[in-house]
Amino acid sequence: MAVLARADAAAGRAPARSAARHLLVAPAVLLLFGFFVLPYLNMLVISTMTPSPTAAYLRIFTLHNYARIADDAFTWGVIFHTLQIGVLTTAIALAVAYPLAYHLARAPRARKGLLMALVISPLLVGVLIRTYGWMILLQDTGLINEGLQALGLRPLPLMYNDLGVMIGLVHVFIPFMVLAIAGPIRGIDPEVELAARSLGAGFWRTFWRVTFPLSLPGVVAGTILVFVLTISSYVIPSLLGGFKVLTVPILVIRTITELFNWPGGSAFAILFFAITIAVLWAYLRILGRAAHPAA
Amino acid sequence: MAEIRLRNLTKRFGDVRAVSDLTLDAASGELVALLGPSGCGKTTTLRMVAGFETPTAGRILLGDRDVTETPPERRNCGMVFQHYALFPHLTVAQNVAFGLEMRQAPRAEIGRRVSAILERVGLAGLDARFPRQLSGGQQQRTALARALVINPSVLLLDEPLANLDAKLREEMRFYIRSLQREFGITTLYVTHDQAEALVLADRVAVLMDGVLRQFDPPEEIYHHPRSAAVAAFIGLTNLLPGRVASRAGDALVVETPAGQVRGRGVPELTPGRPAMLSVRPEHIDLDGGGAGPPGGGDGINRLRGVVVERTFLGAVTDFRVDVGDGLILRVQGRAAASHRTGERVALAFPEGAAWAVPPGDGPAGVGEASGPRGPQPGPAGAG
Repeated sequence: MAVLARADAAAGRAPARSAARHLLVAPAVLLLFGFFVLPYLNMLVISTMTPSPTAAYLRIFTLHNYARIADDAFTWGVIFHTLQIGVLTTAIALAVAYPLAYHLARAPRARKGLLMALVISPLLVGVLIRTYGWMILLQDTGLINEGLQALGLRPLPLMYNDLGVMIGLVHVFIPFMVLAIAGPIRGIDPEVELAARSLGAGFWRTFWRVTFPLSLPGVVAGTILVFVLTISSYVIPSLLGGFKVLTVPILVIRTITELFNWPGGSAFAILFFAITIAVLWAYLRILGRAAHPAA
Repeated sequence: MAEIRLRNLTKRFGDVRAVSDLTLDAASGELVALLGPSGCGKTTTLRMVAGFETPTAGRILLGDRDVTETPPERRNCGMVFQHYALFPHLTVAQNVAFGLEMRQAPRAEIGRRVSAILERVGLAGLDARFPRQLSGGQQQRTALARALVINPSVLLLDEPLANLDAKLREEMRFYIRSLQREFGITTLYVTHDQAEALVLADRVAVLMDGVLRQFDPPEEIYHHPRSAAVAAFIGLTNLLPGRVASRAGDALVVETPAGQVRGRGVPELTPGRPAMLSVRPEHIDLDGGGAGPPGGGDGINRLRGVVVERTFLGAVTDFRVDVGDGLILRVQGRAAASHRTGERVALAFPEGAAWAVPPGDGPAGVGEASGPRGPQPGPAGAG
């Protein structure tokens, strides 16, 4: 949140002609309004309508859709499971991406281009092809398990479970995490780390007291991005989870496409949206307190 | 406070020798300036002492400790960086307290020592500010306070004034000097600014291309450079090429395109050797110094020339005088301010103002000359 505050301060210093500059954001605002805000409002309306077996929904106001979800232990289980996969995927991606981002940020200019290309390479392949690639590797008769068996080892359950889903998700979200973190690390003067060393801080204390706090803006951006992308992903959990791993997006789409319950699916989506916002709010508060213990 | 001893220190980056066989001592409480043009190896030397670079060869001793292999956090060096390297996410007080926290000092003691040092460097009342809210001079003093509060064995300063404006730089020179004296701390001071080195240092180590060219007190460096390269680097000087005609003890006569010049010079300049005569512009008198035999004999050298350019510099006026063969001498003085371009003038300077050095880079190192301190052989020599 310190980042946001700093950005605000910079914007506040903007001189005249700021009115004209505000027009620059107009295309983005219009796009978001037309294709994000309006559909969500529409969904909010639908979520308060009465389900019907003969039409998309009946125009009769009700809060029954929400009440039914709130009462349903199975639904809550899926919500918690989705958040759990989100937290774990984000944590693993952070652990893998941070050293990579540090290396990338400190690499000599000549090598930076190649490293950057390698980092974003998972994004160069479409999601379906990439996921089927993972299936070839991970399935019970896949490359890894056949290799294990050839070595006389027991095959491992790598797919149609949380592990498989998270392998696929971490793989594709690492570039987002790396790019988010590398920027702020590049902004850290390497001499600041040397100063900490000369003042008596060893490698790890320098990292936790200096490097990590200064890279926090990137960590916040990266973790939020990956967390949100993970809990809203559909294709990877469906294919690598084989519908044995249930997440909120899978359940919402099923409610709508298999049960034709538009209001129920909408209510579920809106509720999860609210929960996500609450989780992120709590996360930012905790981080904000950690970054400024005195405040 | 510990003395610093560098023994045959060498650092290679790939094929590049950044520092070659550097042997240098700083006595306890002494301020030694590492002076040289950019890329001469002075910052690399400092970073090796701090522990940020590992020497390719040689030893580093701080007091009785051989720290060549010691990581930076266990060397107890106070370091001030060119860009200060303050922690941007910490306040002034937290920046200064950092080193004490790493030493696990009790909280009350940290508070006491931090406010004492902030008081000393004139930052009392600014302890809650963040570095970005400070002026350049305040950031500089915060960096000094942060380095000094840990009672370091040695203080390492890397171009600490390079980022300040001219006026503040001038002030901070004296400030750093008084602070260093007060703490009595052995200090290495890296700078490319020869004026800064002359003002601040007890002794100046002139480094060029990674080689120590001369290591002497400022007056000695200024008046008696050991080579043409050092003479040209320190202050403004005229270098007249010539050949040693005769020598008697310290005094020698050099045959130059402008005529014979009497002066003194480094011992290895025996008759017949090529030499460069260094004459400072401020030591040359443009009026010719009155009557007297043109060949000297009264202790005054006399040359004739034509003023080719005249530049008003404020306190002094700068003349470029052609003394024959296209050899241009620069002369600076107040009294001579009336001479015009094209005017024929007589130049005079005392024998003591002409100092002869070998042409080119001169001897590598300081061993062969009559310096007060040559390199001492062997690592840990006086351990």
